[in-house]
Amino acid sequence: MELKPNTIAELSELLACANTRGEKISSVDLAALNRVLEHKAEDMTATVEAGMTLVAFQNELRQRGQWLPIDPPHPETLTIGNLLSANSSGPRRFGYGTIGDYLIGMKAVLADGRLIAPGGKVVKNVAGYDLAKIFVGGQGSLGVVVEATFKLRPLPERETFVQKKCNSLAEAGTLIEAVLDSELTPVVLDLHNTSGSYSFVLGFAGTNEEVAWQLDKASALGVKEPASLDYDREFWLQRTTANKIAVLPSKIIEAVQGLNGASFVARVGNGVIFHNDTTAPKKADLPLHLFQRLKDEYDPKHILPELTL
Amino acid sequence: MHPEGKTSLSPRIVDAFMAIVGKENVVYGEQELLVYECDAYTLEKNLPNVVLLPRSTDQISQVVKICAQEKLPIIPRGAGTSLSGSVLAVTGGVMICLSRMNRVLDIDFRNRRALVEAGCVNAWVTNAAKQKGFLYAPDPSSQSACTIGGNVAMNSGGPHTLKRGVTTNHVLGFEIVFPDGEIVWLGTRPDGSEDVPGYDLRGAVIGCEGMFGIVTRVLVKLIKAPQAYKTLLGIFESVDEASQTVSDIIAAGIVPGAMEMMDQMITQAVEAAYHFGFPLDAGAVLIVELDGLAAGLDKQADRVVEICKKNKAREVRIAKSEQERMDLWKSRKRAFGAIGRLSPNFLTQDGVVPRSQLPEIMRFIRQTSDKYGLRIPNVFHAGDGNIHPLILYDERDPQQVKNAVAAGNDILERCIELGGSATGEHGIGVEKIDFMAKQFSKETLDAMKMLRRVFDPETRCNPHKMFPGSKRCGDFAGKKQISA
Repeated sequence: MELKPNTIAELSELLACANTRGEKISSVDLAALNRVLEHKAEDMTATVEAGMTLVAFQNELRQRGQWLPIDPPHPETLTIGNLLSANSSGPRRFGYGTIGDYLIGMKAVLADGRLIAPGGKVVKNVAGYDLAKIFVGGQGSLGVVVEATFKLRPLPERETFVQKKCNSLAEAGTLIEAVLDSELTPVVLDLHNTSGSYSFVLGFAGTNEEVAWQLDKASALGVKEPASLDYDREFWLQRTTANKIAVLPSKIIEAVQGLNGASFVARVGNGVIFHNDTTAPKKADLPLHLFQRLKDEYDPKHILPELTL
Repeated sequence: MHPEGKTSLSPRIVDAFMAIVGKENVVYGEQELLVYECDAYTLEKNLPNVVLLPRSTDQISQVVKICAQEKLPIIPRGAGTSLSGSVLAVTGGVMICLSRMNRVLDIDFRNRRALVEAGCVNAWVTNAAKQKGFLYAPDPSSQSACTIGGNVAMNSGGPHTLKRGVTTNHVLGFEIVFPDGEIVWLGTRPDGSEDVPGYDLRGAVIGCEGMFGIVTRVLVKLIKAPQAYKTLLGIFESVDEASQTVSDIIAAGIVPGAMEMMDQMITQAVEAAYHFGFPLDAGAVLIVELDGLAAGLDKQADRVVEICKKNKAREVRIAKSEQERMDLWKSRKRAFGAIGRLSPNFLTQDGVVPRSQLPEIMRFIRQTSDKYGLRIPNVFHAGDGNIHPLILYDERDPQQVKNAVAAGNDILERCIELGGSATGEHGIGVEKIDFMAKQFSKETLDAMKMLRRVFDPETRCNPHKMFPGSKRCGDFAGKKQISA
């Protein structure tokens, strides 16, 4: 059953009805819920409906000098709801973290149609459990997020990217260690091979002075060729999903070595590699029985999609 | 439990506990148990039946299994510095105190993480990491005593959360013993990636106020210590002008590491206690700490000075040395301690408002102070909109005790009306139970209870907390109240 509600109340009714009948929900289209409800620049917070695309949201925030510092692939089509349910991230993750770090409140409709509103609109709040967290990366399996409130960041005065082409992974590995040992505070720390050779990419953001100082330091380490994040966009233009390997950050070179030359983009600082290699990724050791209990509690009739790992 | 709801414990079970943790790690007997009758919220007190001081996760699991068999309440406890009765043994029960599991187990500088036992004191983590230029960011004012496990339970904050976030943003994963005795690791493992697929159970447990299980080992994120600090002290004629300065700094696109305010009454008390050199006649002082790379920090500091001046700051001082900076922070973090000079007792509140509503809530607190005839000094995390009004009263006057509680309630209700929260970092505990229904719908509260059922279906772990309708201690307004 596909749902396309015009309002939250309508979604609530549709879900309650489907739940009573035990009808499975295959998709929920929230295109009608696509507005910024509130952007309080003086509080650095904003509340947005889940059907709005990330690009549209960022465009509104930018008018008042702020942004949500999360940069996942396909922002033109990715909705806030999908960003939350997939917990997507991009190259700036090293500097800014993930969407859960910015989420301070939400509204969600549970499988039986009940509307809940965990969290709030203030940046610091420990009243009640941090219930919003289970919906981040929850793939819509526990409920449908319809609204979210985020804390924001000011747009940096300047943001610049530089890269160095490396002849070998060993060279890249040495460079990574040098950058991590230095005083640099990059927001992007990526390694990729999408242009044929290995490219090590650094991104700096902040005041003009901070960025200029870091460009000097990076240049001294040999990372000075002007760059952009086009490699990441292009990598994702060719696909909507990729295989992912997640390792201890210090094992990133070793993990890349195991990819047999497949195309990859690696978040070096986070230990995450997106790649083309078809070998099955290693399953992480997860508390699956707890996942099951959570699903059974919030969606006892299993009408919402199952979590896929 | 017998009819009054008090837990009873047979000697046979105490013997079983002794066999697991060792006789010397069992506190049993009314006099010895007094230390554990409350946390820093002293208006409600009750004794646990027994306190256990285990030394390993395995011991905790064994003890918890016995509690499960015997249907005994379990109350996890760190250092007991919480401020809302979160570790109160409402109906007695088995208190499991993590204070003897307090080691920093491993620091992995390359991967910027540290593995510690849950009873490890917050400040010890940074102490262990700082020689290599790293620190653990969340810094509650009680950081020299409070434990990392307690921080996980409460999702603790501190002055420096404005830029860097709170505990949940800095804890990668942890080991937890659930109320049935099962030991599970949630989130990132010590040798694993920060990217963990599936539901964020780590995030769901952080801030559960010890109601889901007992956290035993914690993997925390370390961050590079800032290359430079600029710590400014703005001296203002009024709290309004200082509050406006906070809003203007944020509006200018500057995110300081911390922005802390102290009003006149607190400033005077702190000055009397620590002699930092605060002016006694200023309406408010604002501490603004900028941190990051040294490059450009001076220019940012100049802008902050400019914004302070625009809001009629009488004077803006800049800490000239690391020692001066440390002294300033020491004064701020010990502000609560200085209150002993003003009043035999005080009640700390912990409301939050949107930053832009700070002037409004400060006006309201002044009115409330007049209404109840109680002095209410303020020291708070202005940058986060997290206020800490300290309601001064004398426990020997029952009317004052009543008024203090009423004043606190009025202020928190106003915070909620202004779009905020009844607690920014101290938690609900037993103290703020009545605010849950004011802040959340029944559906939302029910959804929170569903989360609890996932981890503790018998609601035996830290029971009678957080949710409206919970059992309260009969012993309200204490007999052995101490001035904190």
